[in-house]
Amino acid sequence: MTATVPPTVLGSRFVRRDGPEKVSGEARYTADLSFTGLLHAAFVYAGRPHARIVSIDTTAASRLPGVHAVLTAADAPPVRYGMFVKDRTLFATDVVRFEAEIVAAVAADTAEHAAAAVAAVQVVYQDLPPILDPEAALDPDSAPVHAGWAGYGTQSGVQRGHNDCGHMTSVKGDVAAGFAEADLTLTETYTSDMVHAVPIEPHAVVAQWQGTTVTIWSTSQVPFPARAGVAETLQLPLSDVRIVVPHLGGGFGGKCDFHFEAHVALLARATRRPVRLVFSRREEFLATDKVRHATRIRLTTGLRRDGTITARRARLVLDSGAYCGDALFATEIGLMMVAGPYRIPHLHAEVHTVYTNRTPAGSVRAPGGPQTCWAVEQHTDELAALAGLDPVEFRRRNLVRAGDTGQTGQWFVSASAVECLDRAVELAARGPEPGPHEGLGIAVGWWFSLSVPSGAHLRINPDGTGTIVTGAQENGSGSVMGLPLLAAQELGMAPGAFSVQYQDTGCGPFDIGSAGSQTTFNNGRAVVEAARVIRDRLLDLAAARLEIDRADLELAGGTVRVRGVPERSVPIAEFAASTQLIASGSGTPPPLPEHDVSGCGGRLGYAAFAAPSFFCDVARVRVDPDTGVATVGEVVAVHEFGRVLNPVGAEGQVEGGVVQAMGMALLEGSRYADGHQLNPGLLGYKLVTAADAPRIVSEFLDDPVDQGGPYGAKAVGEPTVVGTTAAIGNAIAVATGRRVRALPMTAERVWTALHDPADGGRS
Amino acid sequence: MTPVPVVLTANGVRSALDLDPHRTLLSVLRTELGITGPKEGCDDSECGACMVLLDGDPVNACSYLAVQADGRAVTTVEGIGTADSPAPVQRALLEAGGVQCGFCTPGMVVSATALLDRVPEPDEDDVRVALAGNLCRCTGYQKIIEAVLDAAGNRNPAG
Repeated sequence: MTATVPPTVLGSRFVRRDGPEKVSGEARYTADLSFTGLLHAAFVYAGRPHARIVSIDTTAASRLPGVHAVLTAADAPPVRYGMFVKDRTLFATDVVRFEAEIVAAVAADTAEHAAAAVAAVQVVYQDLPPILDPEAALDPDSAPVHAGWAGYGTQSGVQRGHNDCGHMTSVKGDVAAGFAEADLTLTETYTSDMVHAVPIEPHAVVAQWQGTTVTIWSTSQVPFPARAGVAETLQLPLSDVRIVVPHLGGGFGGKCDFHFEAHVALLARATRRPVRLVFSRREEFLATDKVRHATRIRLTTGLRRDGTITARRARLVLDSGAYCGDALFATEIGLMMVAGPYRIPHLHAEVHTVYTNRTPAGSVRAPGGPQTCWAVEQHTDELAALAGLDPVEFRRRNLVRAGDTGQTGQWFVSASAVECLDRAVELAARGPEPGPHEGLGIAVGWWFSLSVPSGAHLRINPDGTGTIVTGAQENGSGSVMGLPLLAAQELGMAPGAFSVQYQDTGCGPFDIGSAGSQTTFNNGRAVVEAARVIRDRLLDLAAARLEIDRADLELAGGTVRVRGVPERSVPIAEFAASTQLIASGSGTPPPLPEHDVSGCGGRLGYAAFAAPSFFCDVARVRVDPDTGVATVGEVVAVHEFGRVLNPVGAEGQVEGGVVQAMGMALLEGSRYADGHQLNPGLLGYKLVTAADAPRIVSEFLDDPVDQGGPYGAKAVGEPTVVGTTAAIGNAIAVATGRRVRALPMTAERVWTALHDPADGGRS
Repeated sequence: MTPVPVVLTANGVRSALDLDPHRTLLSVLRTELGITGPKEGCDDSECGACMVLLDGDPVNACSYLAVQADGRAVTTVEGIGTADSPAPVQRALLEAGGVQCGFCTPGMVVSATALLDRVPEPDEDDVRVALAGNLCRCTGYQKIIEAVLDAAGNRNPAG
């Protein structure tokens, strides 16, 4: 513990506490743990997109050497589960609905024996025609992916239809009247392919029973929801299930929701041995059932001649794959993104979440965000051209200002959308004039902060150090590692004085996990609340000890001291050695801004954006006209995050988000044939490497909000991945004079657009 | 399969093992020798999380048979520096904020070490190319590249 503390630790650069163990290789991840008597799990997958199961015979597999258990649907409680729609079971029962549907699970003494048992399970299928076209699947006369869908339980408010596990509308004003006011109208359709989260650490789960309780070590981003999933599907009390996440090797949404913990727990219960599952990279692509939705977005917008938007119609169709999962976050957020941060007085938008026989989709980092922002921002540049305006000027005329109302009547209190635009343009203009086949593309957008309950305990140890015990989950972003900054700020201690106990449902209070960029926003408030309780207690104790009024005291340098007389002080350690300094905080979530969803349908809680933030990206892209290969030289990303508490962490989020979004722009997409992914590996599904990554210039504009996170902070993790894809698309159009209307904008699609402009790269 | 005698010297410790010839170097390091710094991210030489030095050269241990390493010196991230006494490149990664989830970090440290051993004063392009076989999904690479350049400066104060 250092003796001196800066006047404010917020906004200071610091080394994250888990860093030394990570750089030295000591950090233990789930697959690194060792257990006595460990068995190896493996799954039997359908291997076909759509079929009826005629029979399953596990007899031969069970008799193979080293095999301890072979389980099927017959061995699991008959529970249907799902966050929004209870549409799935742990094991396929009568029908398989995507190629990596789990039909059986085995546990064996070695991975080789487990693989042999998987191969020996005999399943007879009757193949059914795969349902792969979301638009066709919406036809009421088409075959259903779920014959019994109407009988499934749902979360309150979910509106469904034939092959549609959630549809919603956003209606503002009178869209027909809005189009009647328009001088110019443009309709375009934009499509995006399925994209994967691709954390570098594959999924891994270890389960071990002792008596009636099970401990599960998992690569989950959301330990408490995972605990709830295990309890629900195995019909256990929550108190008998403990989820522990060792270090987590990234998630990006791919490790949200509840997945394989229950399968492994069942195997461990059947064998009374610890059982471990570790996914291969191929399984990561096929079976994690947590991909970014392939999307089809049709936008029609009306303009006055001066470039003022009068009305928009939007239709989004999301390919949800075989199950709903947590997809309806993407559904509603996508709907909120179709207007962009623009003044659109008349809007009619609808979105459908469509079952198909593909790998199920869900909430990958900024669900519904990048592809919708990309479509809207390509459309925005096309509208600017229609109005004969520069894209920056067009945006400036239409962006929301303080006092404007959004698509559901939400009042905007910030002007930072325009400020981000102006600053990003200024920063980008510092570079050289674009060369041949090079262009600058711009994109703006907005994002929300997720306001939900959370909790933390805080105690001061007898030596004056502190321990934060939180339910929050560290996905790598550093948000949990940043919590000591907040406790330190409140208690006048050094951030390094605090350790953090985290990601263990057995010790921390409930938290929804690493999802929705919510950790600092919500758990940060919980830590601040707990710290303030201890601060109060310390001030009382010190006032009595020093015989002075509380108001004359301050906490600084690890002491409570008299303002202006720092030598009259008592070390916090002295109080902690003789008194229990323990507190809890829950940090009451700020309410959603006032809004009005009358006329809208199927809305589930994202009809307004809490503490909205704004951003602007500018990308510099060069396109090789002979090959269609796009090279991104620089990305400028200006974000307004309310108040940045941890600049190193925020920069890391922006830089990582930019590069992930660049992957979505140019490289990342699953190709499909007959219901099978064609590129389920890192050779066929390429990520951006260090050699391709652009130079990234990030800047933050402050605009603290009252109804926000601690000290006016807003969400950081997800908005960083939303804008760059769009900016790169617009830069390609500037560089080539051609618009690519399909993601990813691969070299093939760019080349095709160059040579056959009508195609737009969609074929 | 008949086990084959193999002698590995990992991070300076010599171990004599009888191994099935199909075992990868990565699996032997992680399960027989308890060295879990190298990670399995793809098992196909695409992600670089398993990178180790073999007699000083970087290899993807997931795609290298343990028997091929017989009699040779293997250095993993654990052999480059420790939490108490990090090597310059490890310290630079910490200070630059080049570590987020940390799963790619062991491979990054190994690849960066191999580069700096060969090219003590790399320029930015040298670093980008040297790290091109190590995928990172968190950081966008910028702070990692800065860290390796910083470490080169630390290793060579005159340069």
